[in-house]
Amino acid sequence: MPLSLLIWLPAVSGLVAVLWPARWAPRVVLAGSVITLVLAIGYVASFDRGAEGLQWVTDETWIAELGIHYKLGLDGLNLFLVLVTALLFAAALLHANLREWERPRLFFFMFALAESAVLGAFLAQDLALFVAFFDLMLIPFYFLIGAWGRGERVRATTKLVIYTLVGSLFMLAGAIATGVIAAEGGGELTFVLSDLAQVQLAEGTQQWIFLCFALAFLVKMPLFPVHGWMPDGYRAMPLPVLAVFSAVLSKVAAYGFLRVVLPLYPDASVHFQELMLLLAVAAILYGSVMAFTQTDLRLILGFSSMAQLGFIVLGIFALRPEGAQGALLQMVNHALVVVPLFFVVGALAARAGGSEDIRDMGGMAARAPLLAATFLIAALANLAMPGFANFVGEFYILLGVFESKLAIAIVASTGVVLASVYMLRAFIATMHNRAGSRAESRELSLGEGVAIVPLVVCVLALALYPQLPLARSEKSIDASVRTAQAVQR
Amino acid sequence: MSPTTWGWLVLAFPLAGTVAVALGWRALPGKLPGWIGTGAVFASFACAVGALLSLEGREGEEAKTVVSTAYEYANTLGVDANLTILVDPLSVFMILVVSGVSALIHLYSVIYMWEDRGYARFFAYLNFFVFSMLLLVLAGNFFFLIVGWAFVGAASYFLISFWYRRRTATRAGIKAFVMNVIGDVGLVLGTYFVFKHVGTLDFVAAFEKVPDEFAHNDGDLVAGCILLLVGAVAKSAQIPLHTWLPDAMEGPTPVSALIHAATMVTAGVYLIARMHPLFEQAPAAADVGAILGCATLFVAATIALTQTDLKRVIAYSTMSQIGYMIMGVSAGAYAAGLFHLMTHAFFKALLFMAAGSVIAAMAGIQSLDRMGGFRRSMPFTFGCFVVGGLALAGVPPFSGFFSKDEILLLVGDRGGWHWILYAVGYVSAFLTAVYTFRMIFRAFLGDSVPEARELEGGHLHHAETPVNPMTGEEEDTEVGFPGPGHFIAEREWPMKTAMAILAVGATVLGVLQIPHVTHVIDSFLEPTFAGSEFAHHEPSDGLIAFGLVLGTVLALAGIALAWFLWVRRPELPARIRSGLRPLYELSFNKWWFDELYDRTVVRPSRAVGGFFRERFERWVIDGALVGGPTGAVRGGSAFVRAIQDGYLRVYAGLLVLGVVGVALYFLIVSA
Repeated sequence: MPLSLLIWLPAVSGLVAVLWPARWAPRVVLAGSVITLVLAIGYVASFDRGAEGLQWVTDETWIAELGIHYKLGLDGLNLFLVLVTALLFAAALLHANLREWERPRLFFFMFALAESAVLGAFLAQDLALFVAFFDLMLIPFYFLIGAWGRGERVRATTKLVIYTLVGSLFMLAGAIATGVIAAEGGGELTFVLSDLAQVQLAEGTQQWIFLCFALAFLVKMPLFPVHGWMPDGYRAMPLPVLAVFSAVLSKVAAYGFLRVVLPLYPDASVHFQELMLLLAVAAILYGSVMAFTQTDLRLILGFSSMAQLGFIVLGIFALRPEGAQGALLQMVNHALVVVPLFFVVGALAARAGGSEDIRDMGGMAARAPLLAATFLIAALANLAMPGFANFVGEFYILLGVFESKLAIAIVASTGVVLASVYMLRAFIATMHNRAGSRAESRELSLGEGVAIVPLVVCVLALALYPQLPLARSEKSIDASVRTAQAVQR
Repeated sequence: MSPTTWGWLVLAFPLAGTVAVALGWRALPGKLPGWIGTGAVFASFACAVGALLSLEGREGEEAKTVVSTAYEYANTLGVDANLTILVDPLSVFMILVVSGVSALIHLYSVIYMWEDRGYARFFAYLNFFVFSMLLLVLAGNFFFLIVGWAFVGAASYFLISFWYRRRTATRAGIKAFVMNVIGDVGLVLGTYFVFKHVGTLDFVAAFEKVPDEFAHNDGDLVAGCILLLVGAVAKSAQIPLHTWLPDAMEGPTPVSALIHAATMVTAGVYLIARMHPLFEQAPAAADVGAILGCATLFVAATIALTQTDLKRVIAYSTMSQIGYMIMGVSAGAYAAGLFHLMTHAFFKALLFMAAGSVIAAMAGIQSLDRMGGFRRSMPFTFGCFVVGGLALAGVPPFSGFFSKDEILLLVGDRGGWHWILYAVGYVSAFLTAVYTFRMIFRAFLGDSVPEARELEGGHLHHAETPVNPMTGEEEDTEVGFPGPGHFIAEREWPMKTAMAILAVGATVLGVLQIPHVTHVIDSFLEPTFAGSEFAHHEPSDGLIAFGLVLGTVLALAGIALAWFLWVRRPELPARIRSGLRPLYELSFNKWWFDELYDRTVVRPSRAVGGFFRERFERWVIDGALVGGPTGAVRGGSAFVRAIQDGYLRVYAGLLVLGVVGVALYFLIVSA
């Protein structure tokens, strides 16, 4: 089965939705995403964990003159990211199906296009193709926020676009330079990642290209201090859009480091290792501190995500297989846990007169044990309580950092403590204490339950058996980090 | 069956109980959730006995360490985190104590919690706690030790915040959780230091490699052991991470008995005993542990002297007693420390249960100032309290006498500066007798308070409007409050049975280990500690005799002093208070630890957070750093709106064009 099917199936379902009557659009796109999820599960089930390198490779010449290939492939790095993307888009579309949208055909088309773009970015094995999908992701989200957002959506959208566009342009420049400079020695112009990895770029060249990519990725995550678009953006996005944005788009950026940056620019990765680690630690501490001063639940989760992304970057730039392994697992974990958390925020807002401010909430556990239980499980997972896969991720990440930079590991570990402060604060302020003035305690509705509970079950399942993704990513992780680690020695 | 099969069953029952009660919370009628939970823990205890018999049936020291792996949990890149249990005499000893005491406390709770609106939730949490604690002590590697360690912390949090409409309870809950996470982080980092050298997370394999991989007092090992101590100190409420334990008394009284006295808080003692091959190779770290334990046992004893909240007095006493255990195991007195862990589990659980009975008779009030004269109306509770008190004070022949003296004996026998620990230990033993009997005399002797008189008349007091005993705030009676009815041991057979069994244990368990007479604990634990350098230490007969006499004299003197101060001359304590004002303030304000942390940690971090949120984010992130682009956006957005009337598609079109344009430019230039 070609991987193109997986990528383009959502977009096709979106097109179908546009052509059919408006009231069918939500169902059609949801069906498309569910079929995509089934396909993704099929790939995971038949993945050969013993094999090295890419599986199910599609390699077509796309633009021969420029050496750009339409090359796709699955390996341990993207296998579970693809699965979790398909799962979370299906969940978000399900959630989006629960309410009415203006101009539903366009809304659901954009949503479907976003899924295709993200899957494409994860599966692309050609640098130019990766950049194309990476930029394609922005367009549907731009519409989704600008047209269906709330509050100051125009300001939020323009901020987001300017930030990410600047990042993207730097990345584009870096990508083109990589191909061109790699071909300078007389080789053929190519953007295929596996070919580029064979070429050793000069260290100075690597360094400026590294910075271009790093900027694009850091903005997308976002990490301190380039997160200026985040508070406005998070407040403005429609909830299901925000859920996938926070869960999946940030992971494309983190994945970019493992797929592109470490193998292609190993010398620069070592050169800038300490800078990246310090940025990561800053993001962990800053995100955590901000998360426990905010009162808007979306921003609590937003800054908490920044802290978690900080851990992921930390793991990657430990430049040890253990760290990268933990980072990859943590990408899956964080994506899987942040979506139900955002859905819970939606459920809480529905019970607090539309407010998403924790000061308007309180005591909501009383008659809603299922809501309280799902929130608690997701919150404990997010603060990486041992026993959850999130802890396994952090255990590997900190182990990797511990082995390469001891002091940074110790400073970063304070982030683990801070996470427990802000997550429990959010839980207590909403579910416990006296009932808030505007808050009512009501159990999850069937629709809310169908969107939230299965994801929480997935979190628990992964908590029981994190070996499932770990065993499949071991070889690819090693391959991704090997060059940089060799440089370091 | 093999010991590990029994071990898995020990874990399976409480887990199944948790799931059954949690999922069936609405469907299960009446007291069924309570009986399911209780039954599960009794079954677990039975399996623990099975593990004991199976292990005892094996010959030789090697055969008494049995390992079983369920599956590979997170085993890649040489990080061997498997779901493994280790059954050896130490873990069997622990599962027997934990499941046995837990079973009795469950039995007590079936009645005690009956009127609570969260009845099923309570038993789901309580069973989850038992599962977690058993996982902690059965874990066969560092990874699952940490998992169990965090699980008990979470269970403790759930149960401290059980009455979640009380702000005092939720605040105490988050405090306990965060302090315990500090401990978890210590454990994780400590594990890294060990893993870095031995390359395995498995206990058996790691401990075998310790002598080869680490020199005596190796820097990495000392650092690792001190970090492990951070975990132990946080969990066992030792200085300086102890301030959560008194606040944890916000939880229901059976929780205080089970988690915050008998089992979870002793996890630090277990940890040090389990890690003894590491600590013996890093004696510098072990010394730190001994000193912290010693400091805690003294400080906590002084604080307990002046507190007026019944449960908090017992909580400080718990801190102090765990201080003895931590000091003991850190100084190499492993079997003695664990022996005291066991006797303490019995008499402290008993004291809390009796206190719960008194608090029920007071309709929720916990202040000693309000109590008095309950000996006539609650003879059974009074009797249990006295038995527990005598064991705690260390009066022969009660269990606490033998176990505490054994610790001090072996600590003193180390000689050198350990004599200071020995002396402080005995001074505190005297204080222990004083504060224990202060509590008993004030609650049970003297004139009967109205509640006691009501009870003498055959009627159990009910509060008209229930209030939070800490704040005086009226309770939110919808959910999350102790319930309108109360139950005292005198009237309910399950409570009475549980307390009676504990009282017998608290009285006679000392006979398991009497110098020169019996040594059941020593010989049972022998295989675990066979490699220890302190394994075959025989203190001199003179020291043994001296310790036994001194312990007896101090305990009796303490009781006599308490009797003189609070029964014979009840006006004296007030005079002493004003005469020794500074000392009284020090004790009453708990040595100002809470205030210290508030000033040095809580307030500064809140200020930093406020600064970042109100200033930095606005001026630097939104203003200066990205002032160019966003400033332009802000100015430009009006312009944009004017031109495009908010038509976002045009925007997107421009965006795509821009990207394509730049791409083309680069391609043309480079080609």
